[in-house]
Amino acid sequence: MWVLRGLRKGILTTGYPGKGLAPDEVPRSSFPPTPSADADWAKGGGLCPTGAIQGERVDAGRCVYCRRCKDAGFRFEGPAPGPMASERAALARRVLGRSLHVLVLDVGSCNGCNMEVLNLANPYYDFNRLGIFFTNTPKHADVLLAVGALNKAMVETLKRTYESMPEPKFVVAAGACAMSGGVFKDTDGFASPLGDAVPVDVEIPGCPPTPLQLLDGLLLIGGRRRAP
Amino acid sequence: MIRRFVERGPARAEGPVQPSASFSAGGRHLSILTDTDRGRTILCEAQPEERPWQRAPPGSPLELEHGGQVGGYGTFSFQYGPVAYGVQEAGAFKLATYGERVVKAVPIVNYKKRGIEGRVAGMKPEDALLLLERSAGHFSASYSTCFCTAVEDALGLDVPSRVLWDRAVAVELERIYNHVHVFAREAEAASQNVAASQANALGERVLRLNAKYFGHRYLFGFGGVGTSSADLGTQGRRRELLAGARAVAGEFAGLMDGLLSSRIFLDRLQGTARLSKEDATRLGAVGPAARGSGVEADDRHVYPAEPYHDIFVSLETEREGDSLARLTVRAREVQSSAMVLQELLDRMPPSGGVGSRGDGGEDFAICRTEGPSGDLIMALGLDGQGRLAFLHVRPSSAANWIPFAISLEGSVFTDFQFAYESFGLSFADSDG
Ligand code: SF4
Ligand code: SF4
Repeated sequence: MWVLRGLRKGILTTGYPGKGLAPDEVPRSSFPPTPSADADWAKGGGLCPTGAIQGERVDAGRCVYCRRCKDAGFRFEGPAPGPMASERAALARRVLGRSLHVLVLDVGSCNGCNMEVLNLANPYYDFNRLGIFFTNTPKHADVLLAVGALNKAMVETLKRTYESMPEPKFVVAAGACAMSGGVFKDTDGFASPLGDAVPVDVEIPGCPPTPLQLLDGLLLIGGRRRAP
Repeated sequence: MIRRFVERGPARAEGPVQPSASFSAGGRHLSILTDTDRGRTILCEAQPEERPWQRAPPGSPLELEHGGQVGGYGTFSFQYGPVAYGVQEAGAFKLATYGERVVKAVPIVNYKKRGIEGRVAGMKPEDALLLLERSAGHFSASYSTCFCTAVEDALGLDVPSRVLWDRAVAVELERIYNHVHVFAREAEAASQNVAASQANALGERVLRLNAKYFGHRYLFGFGGVGTSSADLGTQGRRRELLAGARAVAGEFAGLMDGLLSSRIFLDRLQGTARLSKEDATRLGAVGPAARGSGVEADDRHVYPAEPYHDIFVSLETEREGDSLARLTVRAREVQSSAMVLQELLDRMPPSGGVGSRGDGGEDFAICRTEGPSGDLIMALGLDGQGRLAFLHVRPSSAANWIPFAISLEGSVFTDFQFAYESFGLSFADSDG
């Protein structure tokens, strides 16, 4: 009965990454801002609560998508995640087959990032079709996908998990919290950006990054992201 | 919530009054008591007391946490998590067992304790809001509504009705996608994969509605002190949003009929993790966890502040107190939230009007908001410059950990995930 119902629903899955996006698919949670031609950098820097706008630069890893800088002429179309260091990318292309086994580790998130990671499995994104799978054992994982502001209580677990993964292994830091601590960077519980605890290969900005941004970042490993 | 629901009273812990939270601020020790019958929150100065959910009443699961031993031949305890299937968040449980049954279960919430209350002291409310709406990202609208309302109350601000109605729309959308998500997780746990993926698809549709009308899939950033940036300006847009939400609720009802008539699914839920009405009341359970045990508690009823003073919200309760009862409450609340949305969106006041507030500021304020997993309480005070002097948060999950742990006693391990999801608990939502 479920199968029939499943069929009746028709096809929901996004055409990404092969085809373009339908208008309602364009992610809205998390693109760090890009300055328009007449952007006021000084004003933007003053409005930004996380220090993501510094001088004439946007540090995507700090942006929490609060949209305050809109008033200073910033737009939200955002860069793709990455890039990956070229020798790591070459290694990934060489050793990883058509599938990617991902171990998700929450190191102190608000649960927003977790929800978006779980959403990769919903029929709209259906990441299995791209050969990406979750695994629950470090021993089977190619990729450690970490979300959240690294909590002091999770540093050991993170390191142990990383160490028990077989070589070659890749680390993705997803979300402003993992990249920089986001809004939690000055709390008592915060230890450090993820990259200070384990080597990070791909960073995916956003608060939270949407499923499409997450897919994009994961496909970067193994060089499978196609031109948009 | 607004001031007319708060009384300042002498400390009284007996009678029909229930302690909901207690905290220290500026050298004073304050307790928040709840009188559900009269619809009042009573604030009183009290002796320093540990927070109720951190206290270890004799025989409670927390004894284990405080080094107590669980007696009995062959009983052993071990830790489950923080990297374990079934608990997706950074959090863990200490479980005591003598084999296949859980004797005691203790949640360990400090893996993601960030210390938000400490961090926001001294901050401007609009900056503190960034942290609060990211305390528990999936309850963001409830947090931001609760916090902004409390700040407005402390300032004695006049708030346009429209802002209050926008917030209610966000909170109801949040309730719908969270309840749908709980079903998806339960269906997944029961290997009902097609149903799970359909529920997930419905959840995604609500997230897209959130993005379209509130600018963010998880409703971050739409709210502010005295303002809202929701894009519900035209009647056309409101109708579109309503149509989207009603379609989701309608399809969800169909999905429910299927799931709740599936024997495999029901078997996993019926009778698991039973919480008696007595325990739910005594331990201060909130939200669907309380209502599933027959407790008539819902902030929208008990404290009907605008817009809920004028809108029919059906109070959904069940009596069994098991995982199925909690899920049934959630299933019906998806429908009742859709009905509330209809009223909110049909009768939305024009922007610019002034709401029923503005009776002068006070040194501190309390707000309670019914989030997807229940009553969220915030108490805060402002200093002379309008910065936060202190903030205290009692998240819904914090209230439900002990009821959850008690309900688990005597269950088999395979019930664990079903019980956990049915309570709608979250470790992020425990940073009190
Ligand atoms: S969206 Fe917010 S955090 Fe991001 S750059 Fe703009 S002001 Fe800074
Ligand atoms: S990046 Fe944003 S959504 Fe992700 S955990 Fe941090 S606050 Fe939550």
